[in-house]
Amino acid sequence: MVPNGKKSVVLAVLSSFLLPVCSALAAESPQEQRHELMEDVGGGAKTIGKMLEGEEAFDAVAALSALQTWNHAAGVFGDLFPAGSDSGYDTEAKATIWSDRAGFDAALQAWAEAVDAAIAANPQDLGSLEAAAGPVFEKCKACHEDYRVEKE
Amino acid sequence: MRPGLKRALQMLLAAAVLAALVAWWLSRPQGLAAADLPRHDPDPRNGEVLFHAGGCASCHGDHLAGGLELATAFGTFRVPNITPDREAGIGGWSALDFVNAMQRGVAPDGRHYYPAFPYTSYARMTLTDLLDLKAWLDTFAPVSGNVAVHDLRFPWNFRRGLGLWKLRYLDDEPVAALAHADARLERGRYLVESVGHCGECHTPRDRFGGLDRSRWLAGGPSPESGPESGSDGAGKVPNLTPHANGLAGWSERQIARYLKTGFTPDYDTVGGSMVKVQENLARLSDSDREAIAAYLKAVSPVP
Repeated sequence: MVPNGKKSVVLAVLSSFLLPVCSALAAESPQEQRHELMEDVGGGAKTIGKMLEGEEAFDAVAALSALQTWNHAAGVFGDLFPAGSDSGYDTEAKATIWSDRAGFDAALQAWAEAVDAAIAANPQDLGSLEAAAGPVFEKCKACHEDYRVEKE
Repeated sequence: MRPGLKRALQMLLAAAVLAALVAWWLSRPQGLAAADLPRHDPDPRNGEVLFHAGGCASCHGDHLAGGLELATAFGTFRVPNITPDREAGIGGWSALDFVNAMQRGVAPDGRHYYPAFPYTSYARMTLTDLLDLKAWLDTFAPVSGNVAVHDLRFPWNFRRGLGLWKLRYLDDEPVAALAHADARLERGRYLVESVGHCGECHTPRDRFGGLDRSRWLAGGPSPESGPESGSDGAGKVPNLTPHANGLAGWSERQIARYLKTGFTPDYDTVGGSMVKVQENLARLSDSDREAIAAYLKAVSPVP
């Protein structure tokens, strides 16, 4: 019989291995994978946004972690739009992603570069976080306008 | 023919003629007179604020040369040139012509405008604001080139009928009753209900194309949709009232921030035809955006 304390440790260790497997299984289609990735990106934006709005205290570690989330997403996002993934799963991807692939790639590149610059700036106070994250927020908005369909 | 029947037919004909005359008289365009205009030295800077609050460029284009097509259930509306070009635009208009177009939906030649041009909202603008707005429009460069006419289905292509439509749907009274209206709420109501004309998209319309004010700002199908629109704009327009289906979960601050930055409380970004609206509203003052937010939290919640 494993004591309760140990049991929860075992469970925690097990689930830490299982969780990534589960989420990978849950998101098999590129449509679902990119949707989940964007949810992560939105989570990072919320973390930084709340600091900039003064709704939460500045936290350099949490801010950097959010920037790393963006960095990871920006690195792989472009691979999740193979031919044939333009419909299904309630995707909000606009057809222009495939008809104007070069433009889409350029927009993603601009996003990745803005994130790189933000991480390089290593913001240690609110002012530098704002200066670092501001250009990234602009890229979110610009790319959504051109390459995302508005549903509802 | 028997005398009785003949007489009955004559009376019927007379009644029909009388009804037609009454309908014609009721549907006459009703403009203001020159004497109704106040003495006012126009302020183009205030006109610029109103220009952005109204989002004139969203439909008329950055140069105001028009041409945008609005595909609706009634047919296709084409947005006109409102540059100061004397021939293609409104350069030849007097202040009275402008006020009559904006508040009464009446063209200088006396014809009715279709309410795709939202004079039903602009009717609530003050005359001095309208004169300021005209002064700002006058600063644009003239662009020649006429826009094609609307392409509407019967009976909507019968313009005179709009006079009867206006009797039912056009007035200059505020829509929302505000219990404790301070200056900020009054300003918010003015921006939303008149120049901002938010209700024109965010309030559902009835089958005659008039706003259903019992569902003020409760959202609904996009007016740019319908059997003939064939556009991908056939989406839904969001509910702006403080109901769970609307903005109940948004604070005033979050609404004001969204209007300034385009980011929702969840840090998603503004989309669709709201992008241009938001970018226009980003050019207003913080206090004007806060007034809009305060008003939206003060209207009646509608599911």
